Parts: sequence; structure tokens; C-alpha cells
Amino acid sequence: MSSMTKQAQQRANLLQGTLDMLILRTLLYGPAHGHQIGKHIQRTTNDFLQTQHGSLYPALHRLERRGWVTSKWETAPDRNREFKYYRLTEKGKKQLVVEESQWKQMAEAVARVMWPTAEES
Amino acid sequence: MRWWQIRERDADLDRELQSDLDLEEEEQREQGASSEEAHYAARRAFGNMALIREQTHEAWGWAPIERCGQDLLYALRSARRTPLLSTIAILALALGIGLNAGVFTLLNSLFLQPPTLKAPASFVQVYPRYTGWFMREDQYSAFTSEDYDAIRSRSNALKDVAAWQASSAVLEEGNKPSATLLVTCNYFHVFGIDRPLIGRFFASADCSRGSAAQVAVLSESTWTTDFGSDPHILGETIHLNGSPFQVIGIIRSDAANFLPGGIFVPYTMEPLLDHSRDLLNSPDTPWLTVTGRLRPEFSRTYALAELSAIMSQQDRAYARREISAFDRKTTLVLTNGSFIENPAIRNRVVAMMAFVLGPLTLILLLACCNVTMLFLSRTVTRRGEIAVRLALGARRGQLARMLLMESLLTAAIGGALSILLVQHVPLLIMNTVDARQAKFVLLIHPDWRVFGYLAVLVIAATIVSSLMPIRATWKLDLLTALKGRESAATVRSRTTRGLIVVQIALGFVLVCAAVMFSRLPSLIMSMNPGFDIHHTMAVPVAVDTSSANHASALTFYRTLESRILAIPGVQSLAYASLGPFRQVPPTEIRLPGQATGQGKPVSVDDISSDFFSTFGIPLIKGRSFNSADPTVPNADSVAVVSQAFAKEFWPAGDPLGKSIITSDNRRLIVVGVAADTESETFGVTDGPRLYTLRDVSALSGRLYVHFAGDPKPIENAVRGAVKALDRTQIIAPETIWESLEADAEQMRSLAGIVLIMASIGVLMAVVGVYGVLSFAVSQRAREFGIKIVLGANRGTIFRSVTLQAVRNTIFGLLCGAALAEPAMWALARFLSVSPLPLRGLGPFVLGVSAFLLAAVSLAATWLPALRATRADPMQALRAE
Repeated sequence: MSSMTKQAQQRANLLQGTLDMLILRTLLYGPAHGHQIGKHIQRTTNDFLQTQHGSLYPALHRLERRGWVTSKWETAPDRNREFKYYRLTEKGKKQLVVEESQWKQMAEAVARVMWPTAEES
Repeated sequence: MRWWQIRERDADLDRELQSDLDLEEEEQREQGASSEEAHYAARRAFGNMALIREQTHEAWGWAPIERCGQDLLYALRSARRTPLLSTIAILALALGIGLNAGVFTLLNSLFLQPPTLKAPASFVQVYPRYTGWFMREDQYSAFTSEDYDAIRSRSNALKDVAAWQASSAVLEEGNKPSATLLVTCNYFHVFGIDRPLIGRFFASADCSRGSAAQVAVLSESTWTTDFGSDPHILGETIHLNGSPFQVIGIIRSDAANFLPGGIFVPYTMEPLLDHSRDLLNSPDTPWLTVTGRLRPEFSRTYALAELSAIMSQQDRAYARREISAFDRKTTLVLTNGSFIENPAIRNRVVAMMAFVLGPLTLILLLACCNVTMLFLSRTVTRRGEIAVRLALGARRGQLARMLLMESLLTAAIGGALSILLVQHVPLLIMNTVDARQAKFVLLIHPDWRVFGYLAVLVIAATIVSSLMPIRATWKLDLLTALKGRESAATVRSRTTRGLIVVQIALGFVLVCAAVMFSRLPSLIMSMNPGFDIHHTMAVPVAVDTSSANHASALTFYRTLESRILAIPGVQSLAYASLGPFRQVPPTEIRLPGQATGQGKPVSVDDISSDFFSTFGIPLIKGRSFNSADPTVPNADSVAVVSQAFAKEFWPAGDPLGKSIITSDNRRLIVVGVAADTESETFGVTDGPRLYTLRDVSALSGRLYVHFAGDPKPIENAVRGAVKALDRTQIIAPETIWESLEADAEQMRSLAGIVLIMASIGVLMAVVGVYGVLSFAVSQRAREFGIKIVLGANRGTIFRSVTLQAVRNTIFGLLCGAALAEPAMWALARFLSVSPLPLRGLGPFVLGVSAFLLAAVSLAATWLPALRATRADPMQALRAE
């Protein structure tokens, strides 16, 4: 196996937790289908994070398997068509809190190394 | 989500992806793209749909099972593409697995299952072992009548206690010995048999001592074979050993796992069945096997402790009453009643199972070799496909899993088919070995052990037969395979050579076993034991020899002797304490001056004076016994010794006139030397043998008659003479030769089974060798073509192929001999107590087997070698 695929895998592992958190956070606004979730993440980050469909759908199904979201085919309010809407569960909300605090700790830790504050230097 | 919902989930995923894709496409159109552009842009944005689907499947967590399912499906498809190959592989495995599992089913029913079908967990069987008593200390024995009474009355842990003793009684209506079981009256209840087929079982009054009823219960098979399923059998009288018994019931054949008897009578009938002893009222003769049912609240361990306590009380009481000169101490073992748990025979049973299943495993291995070869050739023809898969990124582990799945499929179908064999093999074997065994009703019903064994066989076959193909895949060189260039490295000649050697070796072991067993009957029939077996007849009589009956028993013998001697044709009669072809425990004989323990083991035969003329054993030196020789027991007397005895004790000197000391300290003077005989083991000269003169007023010993002419009328006359004296005597006099014939007959049917099994094995080996060689030759077709182009003639090529095959065959035979010889020695050691002439293989067996196998494997070489010479040089060159 080439080193390139290995690196890609490592990045995927690193980002996987983040993507889960982003999806959960997006669903906090209310139920959404896959396309909406992807687009929302893309728009809010000003196209900085381009969610790949290749990782979005596995992530959604993984979250569903863990019981953090539920899914249901529903007719969209603005169109006469059915979409698979994902909804945040109670368990999912708790998980979001956990992931958020973990991410904060991580970000702070990284920030302290990268941009040391005045009193420390 | 469950894995069987995968299909549903997959459709759902498809729908989800499609709807989002449509949405994306719409958005693209809204941004002003043409419909075709929008279509492609949406797809670009989505990326690889198959990959997304794949990764989502992984997220479901059932990917490994899904992949196995795919592999299985693929295996099914590729099996359908090569139907002939797959059928052969499946049939080979079905045969290999079926024979193994079938025989295992038989062994399972015979040895592993507890006898009862009802609540086997509460069934216990008790085996005592006595130290300090008259029997060997390491031997498990039975209980005396008093011990049984003690256990029955004092045990709390056991709810019901039954006892039984197997014996053989002559059923006069069938005029042959019949397996008879002396049982306590709760025997059927303890064995979990509640209802008879017709009639009734014993009531407890039937067993009361003193006023026991002369009643009998017949097994269904005895009822069928000996009484033609007579519906009015109840109330009829049958005669066992001359005594009348009233039939009160019939027991169903399938009521228990095995019923060890055909006729059941109350155990209190024992003195009636055997006139020569009274076990029932003997205080110190162990004869009853005790079985019982645990009360639900008690464990086996508790029962063992309790019974041990009861038995040590019995031991103390026994010592106090001073019944015997020895004081016994009893230890107990509790089992579930199956043969394999019987401590007395456990090791023998395990060894026997190993000897029976061992050769069968060889057949399965041969089947696996065949299947390996088929798979290997399939792998090689699929080399291109495998190379493409590898190039597309399949891992070698995945390919190995795929191949494993293919052989699992074959083995599983083979295993399923083999159940047909499993159903029929056990009864087939039972009927062939001994039709009389039908009396021992055996219920063949496969249980978890059989299915477990079957599963183990299937898995073993899967792994063994896929090893080589997986190895070939693993070693596949991607570049050469992709280029489609066959190189000699694809399947190494080492692999094919190894397969040939293994198959020849396994086949050789089987052929050795077959040759050895088929020789046994003729060995038995053709031997000359050193005495006249055609004109010496055994006359079995059962006489009450208790001291109260001594005088009348003596009169019986004297009258019988005179009447037999009066029969025209009868020349002499004699008594001997040892029977021919029975193993005898040796006694110690010392020379004067030697202390106890310094002597040598010798078989002692206590004979009457006419013994040598009756058996036709010539005297080499000195004289035989005569009427003037003292016969008083415990007094000094004279003796005749065998040649082997003389050689053992006085290697150089003349034995005549020398004295020896017996184990009971009698001094005997040697007056004659008799020729050696082969009377203990077939075809082996006996060890040292001492003949002592039998006390004329003794009642022990077997009676033998020597006669001239045709045995049949003499047999009838002797039988008539005995019957006229004592109507209750049931005898079937037969010459030693006739009894041997029965043995040989049994051996012949056993040899038949071994022969069939070995033939199957050899057939598989030959087909295997043929397959391997054909494959190797087709692999080397181009090489042969080039050789021919370069000037080799066809004879050279034929020779080179044949020569290599011969080399492999010889190597295989050597390996087989190395495998067979130790196995045969182990078998011979295991059977050392039997009189059969099984002692290693010997050059004859090895030679014949090697010749047979070499001949058939050369025949298998012929066709592939011929094909090698037909290699077309043009074809080879064009391919280059």
C-alpha cells in the first residue's frame, strides 16, 4: 500500500470526529436531508470546508447506527417531493455537548502551542 | 439493523443518493447550466457513487458478513461453471466424510453414549476396585450379592438401584447360546424403560429370594428371530439351560441405546442357569454390576462419598466375619454408564477408536488430496483472472478468503451429502461383522457428538484442501501472469511431487491393512498347531461341583466317560485345564534352591493321563503319565514338560530326572518331554509349558474326545450320551477345527470391510495420482514441444515422465512404510491378548502391498505419459 493512501486515511481519521460534530451541530437547527447538511456546512464555512459526499453519507449512517440521529422519508415543505430527513435525538444532543467540549480543549491546546500568550513567553 | 435487512437498506440508500443527486442537478440547472452539463456537474460533485455506497455499507458494520456472502455467491457461480470438476470434488469429499462420520456414529452409539435414553444425567453406574483381595489390584470388578443389598438398602443419594450380570444361556428352542441378562426386577425402570411392547415386566415379587418366579422377558429381536414374532408368546414356556421359564413380556428394541441381552431373567435365577456355581448366595464372589438413578437433590460426588462409606462398612463387616483369608478394601468409580467411561476398559476403547478411525482419516486425507488437485488446476486456469484482480487492487488475503470459501462450499455440500452414508454405514457394518449382533439391539441415532464430528471433518477438509491453491495464489507472479506467459514457476513441480508422494504413502498404509486382514482367515485355517484339531472334540458340560454334590458329580463323569468311550469311532478321552487358543495367566515355576520370585513364568496344564494321545501331541523324550504315577494333590509327583520348557530351564542338560518346584511348593520330577505346540496364539510356538497329572477324583477341567472318521455322527452321539445322563445339559460338541472356522468366518467378514475401505482409499489414491500427473503434463506441454523441436524423440519424453513418476512412487512407498510399520506395531501390542497372528507387517505384507500399489500407480502414469509424447511442436513454437 502506498504512503499516499495511508496519509489520506490518517487525515480521514482525524477529520471523521470533526465531521460527526459538524453534522450534529447542523441538525441542531432542525431536521435536514443529506444535501442540505452538506450545503449548509459548505456555505457557513464560506466554502472552506467542502464536504465530500464520499464521507458525508457513511458518516450519516454511522451516526444513525449509534442512535445519535434518526432518519425518516418526509415530503419537503417547499417541493412536492420526499427526502430522507435526519433528526437529532436526545442522545445525539448529549453527544454534541461532549464533542464540542472535547474540540474546545483540543483547539485551546493547539492554540497554546502555536500562539503562546504574553505572560507565558 | 439486522444483516438480513441489508437488501432493504441498500434500496433505501440508493433512493437517498438518487434524490440528493437530483437536487444537486436541479441546483446546477438553476445556476444556468444546460441540462446535460448539469447532469455531469452533479455527478462530478458527488464523486464515485459505488465508492460512497461501499463506504456507507462499511458504516453499517456488517461488511465482513456481506463480503463472505459475496464470496459464497462467487464460489457458487464458479462451481456452476465447472460442473464436472465440482461434482467429482463433492463426491470425493462426501465419500471421505461419510465413511468417517458413519463409523463414528457406530462407535458413538456403542461406546460414547450412555445406555439410557431417559434423563441420562441422573443415571449412574458404579465400578468397584478391591485392594488386598484375591483379584488383581488394578482391576475393576463387580459387587457381591451382599454388597448390592447393602447399597440398595442404605443409599440415600440413589433412588433406585438395579444390578445385572451378563451371561450366556442356551435357549433350547433356538438350540444355540443366547445372550442372557440376569437382572434385578427394577432393571427396566432404572434404564428408563417404562412400558413393554406386549405383556409385562418383572414385578418385585419375581425377584424375591427363595420363591423367585421362573419368568423371562424377551427382547424384540429375539422374539422376532427365534420365535417368528409369535403373537401368542406370552405365557409360553421356553427352556434356558434346560430349565423352564415362562415368557411374560417383550421389550421394544428401541427402548434404550443398547440392550446387552436378548433374554432377561430375574437375577435370583442365577443358580438355576449355572449348575456349577452359586454366585447369588456366595458371600465373596463379585458378580453384579450396579446401576442406579440419582435423586434430583443429590450430586454424583455426594453419591460417590456415600457409596464409598457404605462399602467401607461392608469391608469391615467382611473382615470381621473372616469369610476369606484376604481382607479387601474397596474403592469406587461412578460413571454415566457408557463404555468409554468404564474404567476397566477405557484405555482399550480409546485405543480401539483410534485404530478404527485412523485409517478412515487416511481416506479423508486422500479425498482432500484429490480435491486439492482439482482446485489447484482450477486456480491455475484462472491465473489470468486472479492476476487481474490483484492488479485492480484486491489484496492477497481477500483472494485467499475467496478460495477458502470455494472449498468450504464444496466441503459443506459434500458433508451434507455424506449424511446419506452416515445413515447406512453403521448398520451395514454391524450386519457384516456379525449377523448375530442383531441380538444386541443397537439404536443408531446421531446426537450432538456426531454432528460435532461431522462439522470438524468438514472444516478440516476445507482447510486441508484449500492450502495448496491458496499457496499457489500467494506465490503468483503478477507480471508473468498478466502477460499470460506460463512459466514453470506457477505450480512448482515440488507441489505435484509432494501430492503424489503423499497419496502413494497414504494408499500404501491402507493396502497394508487390507492385505494383513485378508490374510488372517487363511492363516487361521491353514495353521498346524502341533496337535490334531480335526479329530479332537471339546465336550462342554456344566456340573455342580460343590462339595455337597461331589459324589454324584463324580458318578456323572465316570458314567459319561464310559458311555462316550463306548461310542464307535471314539478312541480316547482326556481332561485338560487349559483350552486351546485361550490366553492363560502364567504361574511361577522354580528350580530347587530358588526362592519365590526367582522362578520363571510357565503355563501349567493339568491333564489326565490320556491327554497326549487324545490331542496327538508326540513325546520327544521319556514317557507319558501312567496309572502308577501319584496324583494326590499337594504331594510330590512327576511331570511332563514341553521342549520350550526344557530349553528354558536346562539349556544344555538332559531334563529327564530333574526336579522343579511349583508355586504351591510341590516337587515334581520330569519324566518326559512333549513336542511344542502352538496352542496359545495362532502361528506362534508356545512358551514354556508344564503338564501336571490331574487328580482322578477332581471335577475341574475340560473334557476332550479323540475320534476317527467323520465328526458329525460322533458329535451327535456324544450329545445324545450327555443328554441321556442329564436332560438339563445343553451341549453342542464341536471339534477344535469347527470352532476355528467360526473365528475365521468372523475374521473374513471383518477383512471384507477393511478391504472395501482400503479399495476406496486406493481408488482415490490412483485417481489422485492420475490427476496430478495429467495436470503436471499439461503444464509442461510447451516444454515437451520445445524438447521435440530440439530433437528429443518421443520415447525419451515418455521415459522421462515415467521415470519421474516411478521415483515419486518409490519415495511414497518408503514414506508409507515408515508410517505403516509403527502403526502396525502399536496395533499388534494393543491386540497382544488376542490369539490372532498380528505381529508387525512382515516382509510378505509389505512386499505384496508395495507391488500392488506400484502396479496401479504405474497404470495411472501410463496415460499422462503417453499424452506428453503427443505434445505438438508447432503449437509450442507458435505460442513462443
